[in-house]
Amino acid sequence: MTQIIKTEWLKIKNYPAFWWVFGITALTYPGINYLFLYAYHDIISQKSTTGQVLKALMGNPFSLPEGWRTMAFFSSFFIYIPAIVVIMLITNEYTYRTNRQNIIDGWSRKNFMTAKMIDVLLLSAIVTVLYVVVVLFIGLSNTNMSAAGKWDLMYYTGLFFLQTFSQLSIAFTVGMLLRKAFIALAIFTFYSIIVETIAVNVLHYKYKSEAGKFLPMEISDRLLTKPVFLGKIDEAAYQQSLEAVKYHVVYSIVLLILTWLFCFWLNNRRDL
Amino acid sequence: MCHKVLFMIEEKKVGLPVLTLDDLTKSYGAVQALKSVSFEVPEGSVFGILGPNGSGKTTLLSIILDVLKANKGNFLWFGHAGSKEQRKRIGSLLETPNFYHYLSAVNNLKITQSISGRGNIQDIDEVLKKVRLYERRNSRFSTFSLGMKQRLAIAAALLGDPKVLVFDEPTNGLDPVGIAEIRQLIIELRSNGHTIIMASHLLDEVEKVCTHAAILRTGELLITGKVEEILVDDDVVELSASDLDALVNVLKQLSEHVLSNDQLNTVQVTFPKGTAKLDEINAFCYKNGIVLNHLILKKKRLEARFFELTNN
Repeated sequence: MTQIIKTEWLKIKNYPAFWWVFGITALTYPGINYLFLYAYHDIISQKSTTGQVLKALMGNPFSLPEGWRTMAFFSSFFIYIPAIVVIMLITNEYTYRTNRQNIIDGWSRKNFMTAKMIDVLLLSAIVTVLYVVVVLFIGLSNTNMSAAGKWDLMYYTGLFFLQTFSQLSIAFTVGMLLRKAFIALAIFTFYSIIVETIAVNVLHYKYKSEAGKFLPMEISDRLLTKPVFLGKIDEAAYQQSLEAVKYHVVYSIVLLILTWLFCFWLNNRRDL
Repeated sequence: MCHKVLFMIEEKKVGLPVLTLDDLTKSYGAVQALKSVSFEVPEGSVFGILGPNGSGKTTLLSIILDVLKANKGNFLWFGHAGSKEQRKRIGSLLETPNFYHYLSAVNNLKITQSISGRGNIQDIDEVLKKVRLYERRNSRFSTFSLGMKQRLAIAAALLGDPKVLVFDEPTNGLDPVGIAEIRQLIIELRSNGHTIIMASHLLDEVEKVCTHAAILRTGELLITGKVEEILVDDDVVELSASDLDALVNVLKQLSEHVLSNDQLNTVQVTFPKGTAKLDEINAFCYKNGIVLNHLILKKKRLEARFFELTNN
């Protein structure tokens, strides 16, 4: 295992494109949350009646513990940035045909796929650490130190990690199937943002079906619920979405296992 | 009508074969790339795999390196089923050089070293010197010419001095100096006891460096064995005398296959393999009043034999 991680590190450590995208990822997560924070402060600082009503309705979504949920939700919008890294890491191997060279040099196909799974796992962990750092910075600076229950929603860290790992694994699968970075990224983004969103809403509104919750991205999308202030639009539905999180934890884990079983199976089966 | 020429030359085995192929078969849809190929690669040999484009050379090497899966049959490395541990002991160059374009020569070889466990950091410098890339060791692979890429792939194969090397068209993209260097390198490796399996369509190269060969055509094994045995299937004797017609008449008493070449003023006589005795032929001609001014047992060139076998 150490040898696999060391080899993957040798591939990445002098790869400028990786560090550029990684840097963008590292800036995006604090960036998006600070953007919403400034917008929030802008709204509540208004002396108008609307501003004061909004302040009363919203509370402070960036104070802890609610900050754990709010910032997980906003951060999850940017899964496409680390997805670029994941797709690059797998499609590069096909572009340079190094996937077959790794096997010729002495890895088994299982070793190769394990290496890639570790890449996705580590990237998910790094993104999660970024999320935690952002929550601690923004959350603690917006929370009264004597406030109780600051860590109550800390379990959102686990949910955030699970969602990130699950969705990056789907991005990896798309990259593995299509083998071309640009096409894979375009398909992944188009499917996630357009196709699945339309499919979920068509199933829900037109066919009154909840089958959309089992679509690959939606399964883990539902792990991170909206911030409470957005839930006030339809409180019953919001409560239901909070209740459903535990089921989506199970669905996401099952999907993760199936995704990686498929990747291992495919890599083992096809000619390189 | 095209008829098959398939026969195996009796092999004098030297120790355990490094590689044994048994009934290897591979199809790509309707196209059969390999048809029940079986042969052995003896230890210490330089084994050439020859064949025209599309004959299955690279498919065969890809199967033994676990890049492709055979539909039928199996192969043994050192008497055991192929595994990653065995591949680590083999230095290989398959088709094109496959490296990370954004990494330097040294950093690419560090990956080869990390995966295969062959050699160490000092060995990386050594193999880069051997293939004349040391000065460019810190340049990115993407900046290399085709010949430099090929030399880096050879360096990767040589890393850690593996006893078995697999080269697929090793002189691809190299200039004449580079080709001569690789030929010399292969000869050196052979004299140091390495076993080299080499696919090539450069027959001259194979003839110069290989001890053994296998010839494939459209996935079919036509012949395998020692190179000198493949080259000679009949004894061809070339003679000349001042009276060519008289010489032909005399020689017809010895063999049915007598062919005169008026332009070169020579006669070629074919005898079954191993039966031509030059001194006896000379004496026979002399006894029949012919004084020979030219008498030689001709060795068939690999190129001629190859075209003969592959019907090209």
